[in-house]
Amino acid sequence: MKKKLLSAALAAAMCMGLAAGASAEEAAEKVFRYSTTAEPTTLDPSKVNAISDNEIQHAATESLVRNTAGDVQPGLAESWEVSEDGLTYTFHLRESSWSDGQPIVAGDFVYSFQRLMNPETASLYAFIGECIKNGSAVEAGELPVEELGVSAPDDSTLVIELEAPTSYFLSMIGSQAQFAPLRQDIVEQYGADFAATADKNVYSGPFVISNTDNKVVTFEPNEYYWNRDAINWDRVELYTVEEQATALAMCESGDLDYARIPTEQVALYEGDSRHHEYMNGNEDYLYINVGSEDCPILANKNFRMALNYALDRNTYIALATSNVYLPSNTLVMPLVAGVNSTYGEEFDLTESSYPLDGDAAKALEFLNAALEEEGIASASDVTVEFVTTDNETNKKIAEVIQEMWQSVLGINVDIRQVTYGEIYSTVYPTSDYQVGYAGWGPDYSDPYSYLGLFESTFTSYGTNYSNPEVDEYLAYAKTEPDAQKRMEALNNAEKLILDDAAFVPLQCRQDHYLMDEDVTGVEFYFCSVNIDWIYGDIAADAQ
Amino acid sequence: MGKYIVKRVLAAVITLWVLITAVFFLVRLMPGEPFTNPKLTPEIQANLEEYYGFNKPLIVQYGQYIGNLLRGDFGYSMKYTNKTVNYIIGQTFPFSADLGIRALVTAISFGLILGIISARNRGKGIDIFCVFIAIIGTSMPDFIVGATLQYFFGMKWGLLPVAQYKGFAYTILPTCSLAFYTLASVSRIMRSSMLEVVQQDYIKTARSKGLSEMRITARHQIRNAIMPVITMMGPTVAATLTGTFVIESIYAIPGMGKYYVESVTNNDYALVLGMTVFYGMFLVLCNLIVDILYGLVDPRVRVGGK
Repeated sequence: MKKKLLSAALAAAMCMGLAAGASAEEAAEKVFRYSTTAEPTTLDPSKVNAISDNEIQHAATESLVRNTAGDVQPGLAESWEVSEDGLTYTFHLRESSWSDGQPIVAGDFVYSFQRLMNPETASLYAFIGECIKNGSAVEAGELPVEELGVSAPDDSTLVIELEAPTSYFLSMIGSQAQFAPLRQDIVEQYGADFAATADKNVYSGPFVISNTDNKVVTFEPNEYYWNRDAINWDRVELYTVEEQATALAMCESGDLDYARIPTEQVALYEGDSRHHEYMNGNEDYLYINVGSEDCPILANKNFRMALNYALDRNTYIALATSNVYLPSNTLVMPLVAGVNSTYGEEFDLTESSYPLDGDAAKALEFLNAALEEEGIASASDVTVEFVTTDNETNKKIAEVIQEMWQSVLGINVDIRQVTYGEIYSTVYPTSDYQVGYAGWGPDYSDPYSYLGLFESTFTSYGTNYSNPEVDEYLAYAKTEPDAQKRMEALNNAEKLILDDAAFVPLQCRQDHYLMDEDVTGVEFYFCSVNIDWIYGDIAADAQ
Repeated sequence: MGKYIVKRVLAAVITLWVLITAVFFLVRLMPGEPFTNPKLTPEIQANLEEYYGFNKPLIVQYGQYIGNLLRGDFGYSMKYTNKTVNYIIGQTFPFSADLGIRALVTAISFGLILGIISARNRGKGIDIFCVFIAIIGTSMPDFIVGATLQYFFGMKWGLLPVAQYKGFAYTILPTCSLAFYTLASVSRIMRSSMLEVVQQDYIKTARSKGLSEMRITARHQIRNAIMPVITMMGPTVAATLTGTFVIESIYAIPGMGKYYVESVTNNDYALVLGMTVFYGMFLVLCNLIVDILYGLVDPRVRVGGK
């Protein structure tokens, strides 16, 4: 203790002595300060469970490859080969070190992957590793972790075997931190407290985390990072500011370089040169429980069609989201990767899907057909219950849709609001609903990330939807190594799901934000990492 | 006095035990579960339940929790994995307490002064002004006070930092925002209590003895009039020092406030319990101190306690 005090005093004295000289240097210091509304939940790469967690790891860890806004470049792997069947990846690691100077070896990846899938770790995001050979079996405790398809023949070679040719594998491991290497000795040294604070871990990425106290995460360049020269920042600070208005005020007063603009305030910043937007990958849908016993007409395809055609999505977007989100009439977010460009460009379904302006006449046709088939005399005999979480934004969304369905179709719509915890833990999984509002964000840039929602084996949303043809296309897409054929199969699946009106697409979410004009090179992405400031920079005289 | 304190402490311990037990079982009745990701597979759900021991009988879990609690261990948060509840409280309580103490000192000192001045000048202009302040303070919600002060002093005039908590200048706006309500209530209570005391016989006696006005106010009026203020101090101190959700989030202060609200919406059992028990202990402690203070200020309480 005495020693600590002494060194602290010495350090303080030195700082004071240097203060005069340091001020000139400080002026040139490149610092990026940004904010998040969601406090990061963990600093443990295997347990990362939210985009805000993953963004931190994206800076503090280095995976085999690095995915910067969809551009996949070599990371700790200098080169790699993929077997012809697409099942085996062999990575050749470059020489590099952890932030404590120890070499990073292939075994660090083996340990990390095994830890992710080990039932004892209890990672919420372990499902991301199910694509690795025996992943599901290890996760379920049916096979020992050693059986996981990952091995290190020597310190610089890593072999990963997959369950199926996973075309998006590289892009996924480049943006999901669960695939970052881990140091077994450090994890075991701290046990349950591993990565509880900044000092309880070592780092492989471009930055080390130097502080996590008091809702500020501070990043400093990792001097051992293999690509240290590409890093411009001297320091990056991430503030948790729950109140978005406060974050904006801090942005205005120069305390922050970046803050998100809340939906309802977007209009205030129109024309501001610091105001930008990007698609964050989240799609919002209405899930339909086609097996609902309380509302059996939902099993009728024509009725579900009527629900889709009755919605004027452009008006809905204006009323419910102040025109901030984009109306959507498809399942897959158009920016995800296709064969050569984006899926949206190669396989556009917006034209053939439900009209964005709605079509009341057609909606009534569908409705009447449905009523006839179900033997129901009048539309007013039909009541649909709409479930959503108990916040104001979602309430507004529910009310706009309620109004449209009631006025166009003449059916009754009840709104039921439940808590966030309830909707995901009981309402959806137990199919205790008729129509429900919820979003979906992708874990990897591939249509499958969205289409998988309607595979009959996926039950988290309790839709009871099952179309063997859809299942067949998706199963085919899982094993087909030819990219074009695979993508066509996925597109066919999407068409079928839209033809079945298995759900009601609503919107693609857009995030609006303010960014200091002197800051350059900060990327935005719709998958796993929203804000990627790793290669960012700031004009030297700006601070 | 000693017996009186022992009795109070015993009552406090029992209160806490009832609180812990009630909350422990009640949180499990809340709709929803701590792990609510639509992407979770049943296997992962099972692994998580095993990890946190949720698959054991509830009574066994309760026993373990009480055992850990006696050793001062609140367990691990479920939302903030790898962080203990003790760590979260240890990180955030100092900020809340610091802000709370500043706000309380401000509120009590100014509140008492305002109350005394306005009672002594009943019906005059200064009294009306003080009552006006008190009414505004008690009727304006804290998020309006906070946001208004932030907008004018922080953004519009640029006199003080808009948010965060990094030095004296940063503390002024949140302190004022937080103190306003308490200040107003203290002044109102003090005013009416002073006015009541003024009419008591012993004040007339004091006056007829020829004591100076100053001495009457200081020795006889304030000492007797302050009792109701002390009564309200127990819960107020506990509430103010353990963090306020609204003011802390408006000024981005890393305090405890948000965890009360958030832990419940997240069904973070360990954190809900930890926060409640901590707050409960604090409240019980504050009330205990108030009880003891009573004994010191008012001899009748000591007699009644026997």
